[in-house]
Amino acid sequence: MNALLARFGRKAKPAKNEESYYTAGQLALIKARFKRKTSGVVAAWILGTLVLMGFFAPFFSPADPTIGGADGEYRRGEPQVVFFWDDQGFSLRPFSYSYEKATSKIDLKALAGGGLDALDALTSSGALSSSSQNKFTVDKTQRRYLQFFVQGWEYSLIDLSVAGLDLDIRWDRHLFGVEQGQIHLMGTDEDGKDIFSRTLHAIWVTISIAIVALVVKLVVSLFVGGVSGYFGGRVDTIMMSITEAVRVIPPIPIYLACAVALSQIDLTPIQRYFAIAVVIGALDFATLGRRLRTHILTERNQDYVLAAQLCGSSTWRIIWRHLIPSFTSYIIVDTLINFPYVILAETSLSFLGLGLTEPVNSLGVLLQKAQDPDIQQNMVWQFFPVLVFVVLIMAFVFVGDALRDAADPYSEKK
Amino acid sequence: MITQFFSNTWLLWILLSIGGLLWWRGRDNQYFHYVFNRYWLALATLLLVSGIVFSLMEVLPGDCAEKYIAYKNTQGETITQADIQAERVRMGLDKSLPERWGRWVMNLTLRGDLGFSCAKRQSVNLALGDRFWMSFMFCIAGLLFAYLIAVPFGILSAFTINKPWKDKNPQHSKVEQWIGTVMLSGQKVLDLLLRIISYLGLALPNFLLALTIILLYVFAGEPMPTGLFSDQWASVPWFGPNGFEMEKLYDFLGHIWLPIFVIGWSATALQLQTVRALVVDESSKLYVDAARARGVDGVALWAGYPVRHSISPLFNSIGFDFQRVFNDLPIVAVVIGLTDSAALLIEALSMTNDQELAAGILFLVALVVISMNFITDVVLAAIDPRVRKSVLGS
Repeated sequence: MNALLARFGRKAKPAKNEESYYTAGQLALIKARFKRKTSGVVAAWILGTLVLMGFFAPFFSPADPTIGGADGEYRRGEPQVVFFWDDQGFSLRPFSYSYEKATSKIDLKALAGGGLDALDALTSSGALSSSSQNKFTVDKTQRRYLQFFVQGWEYSLIDLSVAGLDLDIRWDRHLFGVEQGQIHLMGTDEDGKDIFSRTLHAIWVTISIAIVALVVKLVVSLFVGGVSGYFGGRVDTIMMSITEAVRVIPPIPIYLACAVALSQIDLTPIQRYFAIAVVIGALDFATLGRRLRTHILTERNQDYVLAAQLCGSSTWRIIWRHLIPSFTSYIIVDTLINFPYVILAETSLSFLGLGLTEPVNSLGVLLQKAQDPDIQQNMVWQFFPVLVFVVLIMAFVFVGDALRDAADPYSEKK
Repeated sequence: MITQFFSNTWLLWILLSIGGLLWWRGRDNQYFHYVFNRYWLALATLLLVSGIVFSLMEVLPGDCAEKYIAYKNTQGETITQADIQAERVRMGLDKSLPERWGRWVMNLTLRGDLGFSCAKRQSVNLALGDRFWMSFMFCIAGLLFAYLIAVPFGILSAFTINKPWKDKNPQHSKVEQWIGTVMLSGQKVLDLLLRIISYLGLALPNFLLALTIILLYVFAGEPMPTGLFSDQWASVPWFGPNGFEMEKLYDFLGHIWLPIFVIGWSATALQLQTVRALVVDESSKLYVDAARARGVDGVALWAGYPVRHSISPLFNSIGFDFQRVFNDLPIVAVVIGLTDSAALLIEALSMTNDQELAAGILFLVALVVISMNFITDVVLAAIDPRVRKSVLGS
């Protein structure tokens, strides 16, 4: 056997692993196969870091992302670079420079004559535009040292009061900050909100919307697939023709119609946010529902279902306890693969101004700003969320890809 | 009299005669029996789609009478609530939803009439005109672009999927192993690069991609490739005094590559994944091992066995690929400033709340998807023996 394996140029597995290989559960096998995919593992680390930073965003961000934490002294400010050394020597503690707002010199005397030409000239020279009103000069002589675990605005680290538990850990430490004022690693926007902090907070908002949408999708698909697969016959025909009809209509226009309908109802941003997630999830049941149905159609005639029926299990119990678990790994993988698509759907809606809107920090909202010519020309650093978004989606896609290969039980037949 | 009757019901006769022909041929022919079944199933799905689309449009605020009256209001007439009610009765909006839907479907099946758009104050057919065909061509071109890239590179990707980086075949000499290692690593790196590029198309939302390209033109100081034509060519007819206007064609091509490229790129990622999964799936089957045992190797093995067999499922999914591409088109159209039906759809949904127009466009997209599915099913059953066996049972 070993000789045969060697002939095909493959390494024979050590004998002691043989047994553990055959007795390993499905998840252990998937994990083992996943580890062999370098691109998947790298993507998983990136993804894990981003999600972690998003989840504990208040801790990692140096400034409060809401308008309350906006730095009014540093509106439309450039990113502040962090240095370890400069002309004055090396410092183990990283530092940034202090800055000063350039007082704009507008010659108002020219206007005193009351001539409109002077006013026109002033307006067209651009001196009144908000980007030239907010010019900052870096003062290289004054260092502002970075500090770690600084005290700042209070936030709740883990808040389970939503889930009904009396657990709300509040903290006011942040990973880093600066001696005086605030540090803006990625600059600030028009209101002086810190871009870096906003982006970190947006990650978790976007991911949580995707999680809500995917959970709703899963429940609806399980219902549709489970019912039509288990009962078969006429129920199956009706359910599947409806599914087929839903499947041929492009989804984004439907989301749009629902979002327009939602905008008629007076909702708080949080309710709106959940409503959009539910809409995205509930309308996306077609593919997964069909797969589940096909699977259950083949499984329902197996002996273990008959045994359960003979024991007197109810229909729901058979579907939930016996049929669905045989499909778990596929469901998990499919859910992970669908993450980027759901996130993209949310982004598209936000882009059209029908998803989440401005005070909320979501990646879609931040991305929407990219179409503003003012930002394109004067505040290129506001494209930082785009970069994070692309990295996040890519990480999801690569992890999903590797997981799909890993979850396929026939992929290592040889 | 007779001509008027036929001109009012022409579509119904066409549909009925196709159905009748298929039924007649299908009495003693299994294949045509299958085609007939698929035909009425497609019509039934269309009916369901029209029901879903029609009831979905109810969620949009406002109705036709209000809009019409609001328009009249701008013309200087004073309008009372009773006028709105009267207008509703005149338009048949006071009837229940199923009744109105039945009427809509009847007009549609009798003479292909998609209703009356209130915001545009003309019939939906007229408002759409050639614009739907324009969107259709965009989607097809985008799909072609995606297939052209995804099929060869998906196969390459499937080819490298379970390959090691190093050639460790003990039968090879040192030099052969070294060359093999270089080849394998090259393929792996190429595969990784292509996957990154194609997934970048997925990860960069379409509107950002289009914006970036337009921005590059702005920075370069060139005229932006938005819309369909430059201003100078927009009003020039295709056939001028000196024959066909080639210049206009060049101008046209210089503009349409942008939407096609943008929607094509994002469609590529998914196609690549599909092709890869299909080929990998086929390549682990026994007949491939059998062929390998017979001594078929290399390109001949891949082209002749797994690749050939994974083409038909790919072909089968064209309808849904079209739907997916059309799904992306509206936002791209908004950014690029196209005036096709996708842009109309966005306008109808989010700005003018024009239920009839939006329903018409969505229904047409569904019609295209369903007809594509019908055609691929029928064609595949005719040419692919595996499909024929599974659907005809012989």
